[in-house]
This record gives sequence, structure tokens and C-alpha cells, in this order.
Amino acid sequence: MSLLYEYRVFLFAGFIETLLMSLTVAIGATGIAVFLATMLQSKIRVIKTAGYTLCEVLRDIPLMVNVLMVYFILPLIGLGFGPFWSACIAISIWGGANGAHILRAGLQSVGSGQRETAAAFNFGPIKTLFLIVLPQAMPVIIPPYVSLLTAVVQATSLGAIVGAQELLRAGQILIEQTTIMRGGSPAYLVYGSILVVYFVLCSLISLVGARVEAYYQRPYRGSGAQEIEKKIKDIEASMQTSA
Amino acid sequence: MIDWAYMWEAVPDLINGLGMTLLVSFLAIIFSLLAGAVGCALRVSSVKALNYLIAAYVEFIRGTPYLVQVFFVFYGLPSLGLKLSIFWSGVVALSIWASAFHIESFRAGLTSVSKDIRNASASLGLRAWHHGLFVVFPIAARSALPSTLNTVVSTIKNSAYLQAIGLVELTFVAVDRIAYEFRSIEMFLAICVIYLAVVLVVSALGHRLERRLDRPYVGR
Repeated sequence: MSLLYEYRVFLFAGFIETLLMSLTVAIGATGIAVFLATMLQSKIRVIKTAGYTLCEVLRDIPLMVNVLMVYFILPLIGLGFGPFWSACIAISIWGGANGAHILRAGLQSVGSGQRETAAAFNFGPIKTLFLIVLPQAMPVIIPPYVSLLTAVVQATSLGAIVGAQELLRAGQILIEQTTIMRGGSPAYLVYGSILVVYFVLCSLISLVGARVEAYYQRPYRGSGAQEIEKKIKDIEASMQTSA
Repeated sequence: MIDWAYMWEAVPDLINGLGMTLLVSFLAIIFSLLAGAVGCALRVSSVKALNYLIAAYVEFIRGTPYLVQVFFVFYGLPSLGLKLSIFWSGVVALSIWASAFHIESFRAGLTSVSKDIRNASASLGLRAWHHGLFVVFPIAARSALPSTLNTVVSTIKNSAYLQAIGLVELTFVAVDRIAYEFRSIEMFLAICVIYLAVVLVVSALGHRLERRLDRPYVGR
């Protein structure tokens, strides 16, 4: 424990980098998810098929391969981003492909009668989406989306593989140096503590997520809650579980 | 732009890597399913302490990055007195990770079986184990199947993380060759296609199983 205390500044810097990466991938994944979800919802056949294929391929390739691929291949076409950004890009793309399906399933869970009624009231497509469809889709979207966010936050640990200076990388460096200078590996202590840090971080995200979820589920208290539960389960069963 | 001859040359290495990926994943899938079944039984058992213990295990594994778990098993456990080879570290880490997800899907499957069925079985004079094996299990298995299959497929994909501890599987083979020969586009294209093929085949098999189990419900 004293080892962790001794290097607290170094480890804390890594933790800050992890938080930065988490924020970046959360925003990036959401942006890409919205973009891909628009493709999936498109009325034009070609765009729709392209969207589905893209999502399927991105979801089926292991995240580890994705991260390495972005890190090794982008520089070849003159886009060398460095470890931080290439890890963020890869994880955002992966998260976006999974998020797109959550958004699509959420939007589709709202019955077509709602859209037709909105059209009858002369609501435009944007008004319909934001005032009618989204508020009803939110209770279905939020729970799996929060799980996805915790997954991309956990995935930032992959930055260590390509050399981003985040928490896991800081831990690795600390272990290497201590093993060389003092002998005896403190790996179980350092990795154990990192596990705990991530666990606390993800629990906090889930906690905030549960509050947001409760907010959107207010209108369904009592009636309709079971139906929503079932829709959420269906989405979560098909969602990516890894990170 | 793509050097096909080079890719052809790499095929034997890639096949070896794929073999290792499949072997590790296969063992991990078997072990994690077994651990998932046992864990689920403990999770719903009447001993409260065990319920909480398993629930905490599931929450902890799901709330922590898999990569750190792999490092903990491979680098951390030896100093706690458990020294495993790279291969078995990989199998153990993968099984630990997947079992947490299996426990959760099995439990969700069990809770989807309605309570009234128990009374129905009792009134037909079924013994407890008959009830469990012939009534509850088939219903629970159907509803747990989609998420279980998802975890199984993810187990195969997550075996790629084991390249980080030096297991010579598919991703490791590709990265290793890139380090010496700098043909990154060829190697990544090759392993992406292989992973895609494996994942699609396994999911297709899973869907067939799903459809087969759904037969009694067709038309209802």
C-alpha cells in the first residue's frame, strides 16, 4: 500500500488521463451512434444496407483488433494521431456501432401510431422526433446505453496496449520499475487497485444512469413498466458484452 | 496495394494462430458455462450469504475492464501463490469474465419462468428434480439463450485480448509479423476476415439452435 501512496501523483496523472479518455470516447461514441442510427433509419436502401453492414462488421471484429488496427493503419495514410487519439477513435467507433443499434431499437419501440398522430397534427419530422418519439423511446434507450457507456469507459484501458499514458499504463510502468529496482513484483497490488478504481468509476456511472432512468420512467410508473422492461431486456440480450 | 502473395505466405502462421484462438475460446466457453450454471445455482439458492457473494462477484467482474483482469490473473496471481502458464492464465481469465455474464443471463432466464408453474407441477405430482429438469429448465434455457449466445461469441472475440500477455493466438501472430515485416494492411485485413467468418459461423449456429428450440412455440 505504501508503494501506491509513494507514487500517488504518478498514478493520479494516469487516472486523470483515463477520465479524459472516458469523456472523449463517451462523446465520440454517442456522436457516431447518432450518425450510424440515422443511416439505419434511412429510407434510401443503399444507405440503410451500408449502415447495417458497417455496424455488423464493426461489432464482430474484436475491440482489441480494432484498437491495434487504428493505431497501425491510420499512420500509413498520413493520419498519425498518437496513442491517445487512436485509442479514442477505435473505441468510439466500436461504441458507436453498438450504440446505433440501441438507438434504432429504442426508436422502433415507439409505435407507428405515435408518428402518424404527430403527422396528423402537422408536426414536422424534427418536431416529431424530439417532442413525440424520443421522450417515449428514452426509457428503453437509457438502461442499455448506460451499460454501453460503462463498457467504453472500461475499454479505455486498451489505451495501455498502444501506449497511451492512462491508469493501466501507469500501473504497468510502476510495476516494471519496482520489480527492477526493489525486486519482487507488486503486480497483484497494483492491478488489484486498478480493478477497484474502475469498479468504483463504473458503479458511479451506473448510479447516475439509474437516476436518469428513473426520471424518464416516471410516466410509466404502474402501467406499462413491464412492457418497457421486456423491450430493454431484448436490446440488452443482443448487446455487446465485452470491454 | 495489397500484396496477395505475402498474405498467402502468412496463411500457415495464421492457421496456427486461429487454432490457438479456437482452442482457448473453446475451453473457456465450456468452463464458463459450467461455472455459470454452478454460480447461478448458488445465486438463487436459499443461503443468503452465497446469494450476496455471487451477486458481488458478478457485479465486480462486469464493472471492471477485462484487460486488467487478464493482467491480474497472469502477473498478479503468481505473487499470491498461483502460478499458471500463459495458456491457462488465458483460459482462466476468459472463463472468469464470461462466467459472470453467464450467471446473469441464466438467472434472468430462471426468473422468467412464472411461479404458477411450480403449483402446476405439484398438482401433477412431479418430484422436485422432475420439475426442475423437465419443466423449468426447458423454459429458462429458451429465454436465456440469446444473451448466452452473445456471451459465447464475445468469448471468442475477447480471446484477442490474450495477445497482451503473449499468448500466440490470431491477433498475436498478426502483430508479431507486423513488428518484423511492416505489412499491417495485409495482416489486419486477414485477421479481420478470419474473425468475421468465425463470429458469423458461430452466430449462425446459435440462431439455428434458437430456431430449433422455438419449434414448440411456432404459430403461437
